[in-house]
Amino acid sequence: MRHLFNVLILFLCLATAAARAAHTQVSLLLPANPAAPGTTLLVGVNLKMDPGWHTYWKNPGESGIATRIDWQLPHGVTAGEIQWPLPQVLPPAEVTTYGYHEDVVLLVPLTLAADLKPGPLVLRAEVSWLECQDQCVPGSAPIEAALEIGSPARRSASAAILESWQAKTPRSGDPLPFQARWEKPAVGDLRTLLLTFPAGQIPPMLPVDAVDFFPDASEEYEVQAPAERILDSSAHFVIRKQVKKFSGNWPATLRGVLILERNGNREGYDVALPIRDGTPAAIVASASPGQSQTQSLWKMLIYAFVGGLILNLMPCVLPVIALKILGFVQQSQTAPGRVRALGLVYAAGVLMSFLVLAGIVIGLKSAGHQAGWGLQFGNPVFLVCLTVLVTLVALNLFGVFEVTLGGRALDAAGSLASKHGAAGAFFNGVLATALATPCTAPFLSIALGFAFAQSAPFILLIFLAVGTGLAAPYVLLSWHPAWLKFLPKPGVWMEHFKVGMGFPMLATAAWLFNLASGSYGKNVLWLGLFLVVTAFAAWIFGTFFQRGRRHRGSALAIALLLLAGGYAAALEGQLHWRSAIAPSANAGSLQESPEGIDWQPWSPEAVDTARRAGRPVLVDFTADWCLTCQVNKKTSLEIPSVRAKLKELNALALLGDYTRTPGAILSELNRFHRAGVPLVLIYPKNPAAPAIVLPEVLTPGHVLSALDQASH
Amino acid sequence: MKTLLTLGIVTAFAAAAFGLEIGKPAPDFTGTDIQGKTIKLSDYKGKIVVLESYNGSCPFCKNHYHSGAAQELQRDLTAKGVVWLLVNSVGPENSNHRTPAEARAEWADQKMAATAWIDDSAGTLGHLYNMKTTPHLFVIAADGVLAYEGAMDNNPKPFGDPRAAKNYVSAAVEELIAGKPVTVPQTKPYGCAVHYAH
Repeated sequence: MRHLFNVLILFLCLATAAARAAHTQVSLLLPANPAAPGTTLLVGVNLKMDPGWHTYWKNPGESGIATRIDWQLPHGVTAGEIQWPLPQVLPPAEVTTYGYHEDVVLLVPLTLAADLKPGPLVLRAEVSWLECQDQCVPGSAPIEAALEIGSPARRSASAAILESWQAKTPRSGDPLPFQARWEKPAVGDLRTLLLTFPAGQIPPMLPVDAVDFFPDASEEYEVQAPAERILDSSAHFVIRKQVKKFSGNWPATLRGVLILERNGNREGYDVALPIRDGTPAAIVASASPGQSQTQSLWKMLIYAFVGGLILNLMPCVLPVIALKILGFVQQSQTAPGRVRALGLVYAAGVLMSFLVLAGIVIGLKSAGHQAGWGLQFGNPVFLVCLTVLVTLVALNLFGVFEVTLGGRALDAAGSLASKHGAAGAFFNGVLATALATPCTAPFLSIALGFAFAQSAPFILLIFLAVGTGLAAPYVLLSWHPAWLKFLPKPGVWMEHFKVGMGFPMLATAAWLFNLASGSYGKNVLWLGLFLVVTAFAAWIFGTFFQRGRRHRGSALAIALLLLAGGYAAALEGQLHWRSAIAPSANAGSLQESPEGIDWQPWSPEAVDTARRAGRPVLVDFTADWCLTCQVNKKTSLEIPSVRAKLKELNALALLGDYTRTPGAILSELNRFHRAGVPLVLIYPKNPAAPAIVLPEVLTPGHVLSALDQASH
Repeated sequence: MKTLLTLGIVTAFAAAAFGLEIGKPAPDFTGTDIQGKTIKLSDYKGKIVVLESYNGSCPFCKNHYHSGAAQELQRDLTAKGVVWLLVNSVGPENSNHRTPAEARAEWADQKMAATAWIDDSAGTLGHLYNMKTTPHLFVIAADGVLAYEGAMDNNPKPFGDPRAAKNYVSAAVEELIAGKPVTVPQTKPYGCAVHYAH
């Protein structure tokens, strides 16, 4: 009895002593026993803390100390780095610390050498930690476990626990396009940092409830805890963090764990982000920067190529294509070698034009200007030139005059060759490019959005990829004219077809003319008259100079005089074509019909005001010259179901006209990594939720489901 | 509302940071020491002042005092005319809190050689200087300008001989006395979180 009492006293003393020494119990968990030589075991060091006590993460934060494991391992067993499960931000609020409450398993990979002899081993380590509640106590304890080396390996009872803790460690090597940049220059030893997950990136992200960033430990700087989430419709999320510097330079790379929380689940991502200065960098930064940079460049080049291919089918380019096919049919019979040569010349024309475009973009960028795809259509001088050019092409198709190489007179033998001579093929390439720009095909806008934010060599590469895509079908067909066998044999039908294709070209001219009216108002009449004079001059040139027998010199003189006189009187005298009046931005409703959507002019302030009032907002960035935009509007926006939905949700519809306010809209496009219109956005009712970016080519389904999503 | 709150917090942080900057005048304060004496920073104008955020139960502080290294440094610096003030900001509900009587006992027991121990149970001075940890040190130059802020030394552990570590405080003070610029004006403080009153 006395003996028993003594034992009890001893036991009680021991228990109290243990409690005083440590509020944390540690043990070593093995995933398998026995384990085979030549394998790696992910073992766990389990720290169980009393309620209210905590231990620290690898970066303890502003106070505390990281838990340490010092291994004493038998020969042939080597330990790797600790894999830390996602920690919590610990109280008190004044001092940010990261750590674990109650229970945590730190994982450590132990590599078993291939030449380990079967038999028993003992794994030992000394674990030391700082445990804190409202006071801090350092603790340490030895851990050990017996491991049998042998095969077959057998899962242990702890395996499932270890796997569940492994699931709580951050993912690494998952290239998510997070970006980090300084918001502004430093103020003293503090500087604000923005962490962004840009919208429109792949893979698509579900909405996240909360985002935070836990930095790796550094003696030189500290990323402080309050994470302020800021509204930015161009990103899935943006958080703002304060960085405090203690010594050295401002960090160039941000290392740590990005934590996304949704539906109460946290997912961590190990990141090493280059920190950029100033404006958002479109360069995709990620866990493995070098690799994903090349990956995305390849992806963008493929997008650019496919986009170029699709451009061929756009209504603005189609007539030029018809011209080309005609050329093939005519020549494939007589001179296959020449067809190939001309195919290449056409490709050269396209590529040369894209080089020029790339050069302009690079030039504008280096001069500090913003550049946008299709922006030249807001330039009236360009519009006038293109309208005249397209009219002349239509007249040429009608047979009013011919385009000849070196002014050679047409004769029966040379007619086919000269009509589609090298100059003609090259010109076709240039024309195809010029006409292609207003149609931003899907794929193309992604690639160009990427390209516009890159350095000069990348811009050049992307533009050349688009050009290659645009030219590819012809080069291919010119090498295999046999693929055109399904077409009838050359004959009179070709002449009819050619004249027929003149009409879509004329329609293009009418459309361009309409665009020009936006810049010149009623004065655009003088452009019309100039087109008539030009047509008349072309007719005189074709009929009396090219096909005439006598007085050819005077015919040429009259044609040139008409052109010069028409230019001086109409364009210079009346239209003042080089100094167009900039149309004032419309105020008030831009409603198109009594029952149409009540469009209001877009401005960032209008979006803000509506969002603060809790209204969903639909924004359509469009331009008169953007055919895709017009098609989107007719098929998917100005339709009864969308109108009804907008009314039902009390949503505000805003229209941003790229033609009229290019500057502000361009910066908005850039924020969404688009190079041009169309861009349709839907801002959800919840002002904290990011904007929904709709695809380039819309269907009513896209718009309606996005509006539904926005109403939550 | 939430945004407003966040904004408020950020502004508060910014304000705290603006008030305290290396090379700018250190904010003046008035406190009471464990003897009941009033301590005012501006009274020490013309002298170098060291502020040490202190908690006798924190293992990081214990390592400096149980080894005797902190007292040695205090003796050395006060002999050169430096004022060394301990600041204890642990709130009264915390088990690490010291009443003035307990503090006087600890002072005697530890053979402390500082100028005074300020009882900052309300946390006013700790918050004014944005003291994060125990220990967290501040060196104020004779002209009242903040010359150093951060850790005691480069050994951010609750063990190891402090005399073997590079002591940032003594380095800063020696440089100030020699009329040289402070080479390391700021480091990351380490230790236990300051257990402020709630």
